[in-house]
Amino acid sequence: MKKAENLSTRQQPIRVLGGLPMLIIGIILVAVLVVLVFVGSSNTRRILTNVFLYCTMACMWNLLSGFTGMTSLGQQTFVGVAGYSMAVMVTTYGMSYIVGWIVGGAIGAVLALVLSLILFRMRGMYFAIATWVIAEALKTWFTSWGFVGKGGGMTVAGRPDRTMVCLLALILCVVAIVLIYFLLNSKIGLGLTAMRDDADAASSVGVNIFRSKLICFVIAGLFCALAGGLYYRYNGTILPGSGFDIEWTVSLVFIVIIGGIGTMAGPIVGTVVYIALDEFLAKYSGWSNIILGLIAILVILFLPDGILGTLQKKLHFEILSQRRFSKE
Amino acid sequence: MLEVLQNIFTAQNAISGILLGGLFAVLGVGMTIIFGIVKLTNLAHGEFVILGAFCSTLISQALDIDPILTLIITIPLMFIIGMVLQSVLINRVMLQGSEPALLVTFGLSIILQDAMLLLFSADARKMNPSYAQSNISLPGGLYIPVLDLILLIISLVTILVLTLFLRRTYMGRAIRATSDDIVAASLMGVSIKKAYAVAMGIAMATAAVAGLCVGMRWTFYPSSGGEYLLRAFGVVVIGGMGSIPGALVGGLVFGLAQVFGGASYGLLASYVVLIIMLAVRPQGLFSK
Repeated sequence: MKKAENLSTRQQPIRVLGGLPMLIIGIILVAVLVVLVFVGSSNTRRILTNVFLYCTMACMWNLLSGFTGMTSLGQQTFVGVAGYSMAVMVTTYGMSYIVGWIVGGAIGAVLALVLSLILFRMRGMYFAIATWVIAEALKTWFTSWGFVGKGGGMTVAGRPDRTMVCLLALILCVVAIVLIYFLLNSKIGLGLTAMRDDADAASSVGVNIFRSKLICFVIAGLFCALAGGLYYRYNGTILPGSGFDIEWTVSLVFIVIIGGIGTMAGPIVGTVVYIALDEFLAKYSGWSNIILGLIAILVILFLPDGILGTLQKKLHFEILSQRRFSKE
Repeated sequence: MLEVLQNIFTAQNAISGILLGGLFAVLGVGMTIIFGIVKLTNLAHGEFVILGAFCSTLISQALDIDPILTLIITIPLMFIIGMVLQSVLINRVMLQGSEPALLVTFGLSIILQDAMLLLFSADARKMNPSYAQSNISLPGGLYIPVLDLILLIISLVTILVLTLFLRRTYMGRAIRATSDDIVAASLMGVSIKKAYAVAMGIAMATAAVAGLCVGMRWTFYPSSGGEYLLRAFGVVVIGGMGSIPGALVGGLVFGLAQVFGGASYGLLASYVVLIIMLAVRPQGLFSK
């Protein structure tokens, strides 16, 4: 039975949508978005900024969980740390927000490097819970740390140039997607997927697991921090309870599951669905997480490959991917 | 410095820590059963505990009875919810692997959290029975809070009953057999799905007990689940997966960390203990 299935899938050639046509579509899409950033209303800009930032972080979560098997429940660590760095640099030291943003990103990357010392000793659910515990520990620490305003949080001084922040968010998102594409198409990417499918086998054929995992974890930390910094410049106020909220990772998990875990473009589709749902559900406050949770459970039960993953399997195509990257 | 340390590491604090240990053990024991037997990371356990706390609060208010008596209703209720949940939903997802199952429990936790927020409002709650403030005096100026002693007894009785169930009854043996070797157990005629459903029911019943204890000891909100999930997980990690004596030791370590850390750093101290433990000995003290 299994053999027959394999044969039937082999007979259907998989078309990989990539290369020049995809590049042209991508450039047109980005150009349209740039125009929208400049001409759109303030509400459009707010929604677009959210789309860009969530898309960046979701792509990174997908890189961690979907391609390297490191399911992190603690990406809010980097969001919170970068948001606070932004607030401290701008409000306490009077720097420009660009400096605060870069400092936040740098701290995020260094923090990822330091945390990897502890986290990489664990696998699977231990890793997942440990990342969450670290975020919760930071939340508790920041709640009683006078330098960052304790439980009252901090306000980022000055009025943000929101068009500029939105544009930076778009650039960040594009850079993140391009970076992940090239990373996965490199030798490291091949090693990563081999590692996700069987860490011991990959290790025995000479894949340097530690280095590959470290590169991904630090990149994910850096980009989540950069996204977090921009988010808190855009919105102005950060609290320990919001910056280190598990809600951040809840959203990322939802986006990636809905879009299709382990697919290149899944998080992009997922982000658009998530932000649309979020805007729509804002009218029914209190119900949004219930509905999101139900959708997530239904998708896991009936469409385990997500929207894009299911479409790709049914219609035999893959976006921006090589055959070897799809999870069997 | 020495004086500060002397103020923290007092005999009184040690007594409180040990008494709290029972509460943390019963918090972790439901989690350890699900880990050890169903091989599932149940991220909704904290919400189950808070659900238990709300049920006990509402029932004791409605019937005007002592909160402890509400266990007669909440334990069977939560047991049934757990069995239904496992047989209808989680058994099905577990066929797809451990990661989808983990994410489903994550989905359950956010659903439950917001459902409780809608049903019970965001207000802080606490059960205050008449004996909540009384103390038993000991020689040397020490004292034992009556409430903490009662909670320790409830926790220990729960864990004892659970141990006896797993050791002495047919269903208990079937569950332990399933946890050791699924194939061998099913060849011997154990229904794996039923064993899992009963295990989840038991875990939910212990969550009902833990919820009662949490609701009598501290104020709680619909959003408190995450905090208790992490503590339950900490107990499991320190004690070792699926080990009930381990849960007792883990609970004790957490109780002491909580008390010695004080009001502002108790939680942080618990988290730091947990992270160190995860890094140094992730399989726990009592793993097989």
